[in-house]
Amino acid sequence: MFRRRAAATAARREALANDVLTYLEPLYATALRLTRQRADAEDLVQDTYVKALRFADKFEPGTNLRAWLYTILHNTWRNRQRDAARAGVNVDSEVVEQEGTRPGGPAAFDTPERILLRSSIDADLQAALDGLPEVFRQAVWLRDVEEFTYAEIAEMLEIPPGTVMSRIARGRKLLFERLSHVEDAESPRSELAGRRR
Amino acid sequence: MSSCRDTLDQLPGYVDDAVPPESRAAIARHLSQCPGCRREEEAQRGGAAVLRQRATMLKNAPAPPGLHTRCRAAMLSRPSPSSARRWIGVLVPTALAAVLIVATAVALFKVATERSSTVLAAELTADHLKCFRFFATGTTKSADPARIEAMLRAKYGFAVHVPPSSEAEGLRLDGARKCTYADGPIPHVMYQAHGQNISLFILEGVSRPGADVTTFGHRARIWTRGRNTYVLVSSAAAGTLTDVVGYVQRETQ
Repeated sequence: MFRRRAAATAARREALANDVLTYLEPLYATALRLTRQRADAEDLVQDTYVKALRFADKFEPGTNLRAWLYTILHNTWRNRQRDAARAGVNVDSEVVEQEGTRPGGPAAFDTPERILLRSSIDADLQAALDGLPEVFRQAVWLRDVEEFTYAEIAEMLEIPPGTVMSRIARGRKLLFERLSHVEDAESPRSELAGRRR
Repeated sequence: MSSCRDTLDQLPGYVDDAVPPESRAAIARHLSQCPGCRREEEAQRGGAAVLRQRATMLKNAPAPPGLHTRCRAAMLSRPSPSSARRWIGVLVPTALAAVLIVATAVALFKVATERSSTVLAAELTADHLKCFRFFATGTTKSADPARIEAMLRAKYGFAVHVPPSSEAEGLRLDGARKCTYADGPIPHVMYQAHGQNISLFILEGVSRPGADVTTFGHRARIWTRGRNTYVLVSSAAAGTLTDVVGYVQRETQ
């Protein structure tokens, strides 16, 4: 009896491990966006998986396993940053929330179609995305690249849905402004500094 | 009519079709009359469109080959409330591997000058058991040989051809590691065939006579091709092993 139950538990753990590992590639890509360092991204993913198994009984079967894993990933990342901040490393916070709030912007945007046709689009987009303040980058990444719902993102980032929306708004706008003015490459933070063409 | 503030607050949801119909109509009315908010809308649609169009490229950051194995091992090695059986599962192969290593060391001592095929087979059988016990990926997906080759080259400097999975042989490529053979590190490529673990070891720049050795319940086939010696180790049936050897020989021609 005891042995049978132990075997069943082991089998369940094994099954869950196999299920969650199918998301290894997208989790790693997201972790790399957060940490920007391969070794840190690998550690973050591994920690996420260990926690997923440890809290396996908190997962409700039938709900979205992928969203649950991303929630653990972002929780783990926040905890690490908190530890880093306590250790004296500065983490950007309130200041950036205000960036990109100004309405208006450049006189004209380029069109998405034209931007997508540029030969340098991939490099430009990576640079623009990496240049966004972290809170905006996270929000647009989860929405437009990973296609999570607003409610799922609110849970992952532990912020109200209204804040999710405003972060996405600011992230998309800053990104699009930068892509519309890639020729400003020598001063990539010009929009943030309030410079207008 | 909605104010600019209300409109801007809900614009991302509006662009994504994620606002309730009544808000939607109010926002649309406001947008039709407010050029400033229309420009904001343009930026929202533009940013979202570019990200979605290039999402596949952005997400393309292949995880390092060893990460799957590491994560799996980290997940399943956590002690669970009833871990007695797990410990037995760990200790028995560990003890067996230790016995093999000691036996190999004794044999090595006796054959100090030239390492016989039996010693080579015993040593690599110990590695076979150890690696599959501790580093098995547990995956059911076949690994990408190009990525494994790139990993072996980048991490350890091995320039070897890794034969891919073969449906015809029922062979699945699982992963690769570095193992230490007496003369230095060698690549250890791990496969599955018909539920059995199969190891392929490649000794670069080594030439030695072919042999077919049975040791510790495992078969080892040793052959030299080009400038490398290959050793295949498994407890699979002799027929399976012969098929896999044939396949690997064709692949490494």
